[in-house]
Amino acid sequence: MRRINPRELIGRYGTAFAGLLLIAFFLIFAKNFASPTNIVNVLKDTSFLAILALGFTLAFTVAELDLSVAEIASLAAVVCGWLVQLQYPPAVAVAAALAVGIVLGTLNGYGVTVLRIPSLIMTLGTAAIAKGFAFMITQGVAFVGRWPVGFTGLARGYTFGIPNLVLWMSAATLFAYGLVKWTRTGAHMVATGEADEAARLAGIATARMKRIGLLLAGVFASIMAVLLAANLSSAAPNMAGDYLLYAIAAVLLGMTMFDPGKPNVPGTVFAALVLKVLGNGLVLLGAPYYVQDIVLGAIIIGSVAFSASAMKKAAFKV
Amino acid sequence: MTKPTPILSLRGIGKSYGAVVAVSEVDLDIFPGEVVAICGDNGAGKSSLIKVISGAEEPTAGSLAMRGKPVSFASPHDALEHGVATIYQDLALAPRLSIAQNVFMGSELTRPVLLPFLRVIDKKRMIAESQRFLSQLSVSVTDMTRPVERLSGGQRQAVAISRALRWNAEIIIMDEPTAALGVKETALVLDLIRKLKADRRTVILISHNMRDVVALADRVVIMGAGRKYVDRPIHGLSADDLTHLIMSGNARAA
Repeated sequence: MRRINPRELIGRYGTAFAGLLLIAFFLIFAKNFASPTNIVNVLKDTSFLAILALGFTLAFTVAELDLSVAEIASLAAVVCGWLVQLQYPPAVAVAAALAVGIVLGTLNGYGVTVLRIPSLIMTLGTAAIAKGFAFMITQGVAFVGRWPVGFTGLARGYTFGIPNLVLWMSAATLFAYGLVKWTRTGAHMVATGEADEAARLAGIATARMKRIGLLLAGVFASIMAVLLAANLSSAAPNMAGDYLLYAIAAVLLGMTMFDPGKPNVPGTVFAALVLKVLGNGLVLLGAPYYVQDIVLGAIIIGSVAFSASAMKKAAFKV
Repeated sequence: MTKPTPILSLRGIGKSYGAVVAVSEVDLDIFPGEVVAICGDNGAGKSSLIKVISGAEEPTAGSLAMRGKPVSFASPHDALEHGVATIYQDLALAPRLSIAQNVFMGSELTRPVLLPFLRVIDKKRMIAESQRFLSQLSVSVTDMTRPVERLSGGQRQAVAISRALRWNAEIIIMDEPTAALGVKETALVLDLIRKLKADRRTVILISHNMRDVVALADRVVIMGAGRKYVDRPIHGLSADDLTHLIMSGNARAA
């Protein structure tokens, strides 16, 4: 049988417990934090970040960095908003947004596996391209309008009393978790990320696994984009740009919990919640807006330092 | 007495990397249940030859046959499917993954849920089977969820061998299995190889350690400058004789 020692317990659940304490702190001390409206808002806010960060997590699972997720999301949102504005049916707009994620995710995958460009560089290039196209389509302004409820309801609606956004987040979480933990493809992705060469020698199609990871990062980015545009009834060429650092922070902070040192789905989602709670709570406590960025940077650095030896190997192998 | 059919035969195998000839014109027959040691100094062509047999690289000349039937291995996976498993010195395992995950890497077990075509990873069975392979090798590790990085060098070799057993490999190629190990761990690995032999599996052993070779091998193949120049039963040879043979090969190559 497996013995559990206290050190392992702290390593596994230490930061998650700290996150819980943080949430408890704001519940008690931040005025209005505990109000039902605010809690629902925090959860909705978490959904966007969690979905984007889950895509990043899947790419990171195959040991590839995807720095293009936020710009892919911006472009997908713009394409989606454009078509909604032109009064195409919502389904067409959503399909077009997904196509953006699929095409750019595939591009990243082939760049990394066939052209052998390090993902750090490849995805930076893709990000710039996506950004350029987003500005080209919008000509620099945002699409805003009275969009059909059939579209905005994707994000703003409720199903069985639960915000749709929260349901989308749950579905994305379940999908990512199930893929990694329950399927052979997921096991092959994990093996590829952990030891590329060993996996290849064990007969795993490692290049394909890397392409799947990067493809899913693109797809998750475009799902997030659709929800973001639906929620705001608008689409701007820079609308998801700020999410990149948050997504990275969520993944790295997530890697300090549950399965330390490894990108993992529950860690990412819980870390996304903690980050959003922190942002919201700081605002309610009256902290100036720029404090968030400072805290975010500290979390990114702190997370990596926390599980240093195990993680450095994985996180900085680019 | 007629000679048995070789389980693996190489004919005129050559491997060059551009202008560099790593292996040339190697003929080699390997018979079922044999332990064949491939020796030679660094750069003699052992590793390149092994890469060809294990499917890691395709030969630039010559052909392979198994039990008299021609085969070609386009990938390590191809070789595995033909029952040829290779245990590389330090590339074989993913250190942070568990024993069970390593044993079943690339060939995970699944079980159906709800619907017959919906299959999920069967962790329990992978743990039980890994346990069975390891006890078959008389290695006493109990926790199959332990990461491989926390095992000793000898135990890691046992995990790598378990993966070969999982594929039911008939030919197991071991690249310097004792190179980085201490005395006790080396003894463990030698025992593992003896168990494989007792189990009627064919082992191709690449080793620099002449004492290991003398202790384990039935036959020794010595390479120099990409060619095979000794192929004989180990019987009657001492570790010093082997060293001498390798040195003379170097002299010939020079």
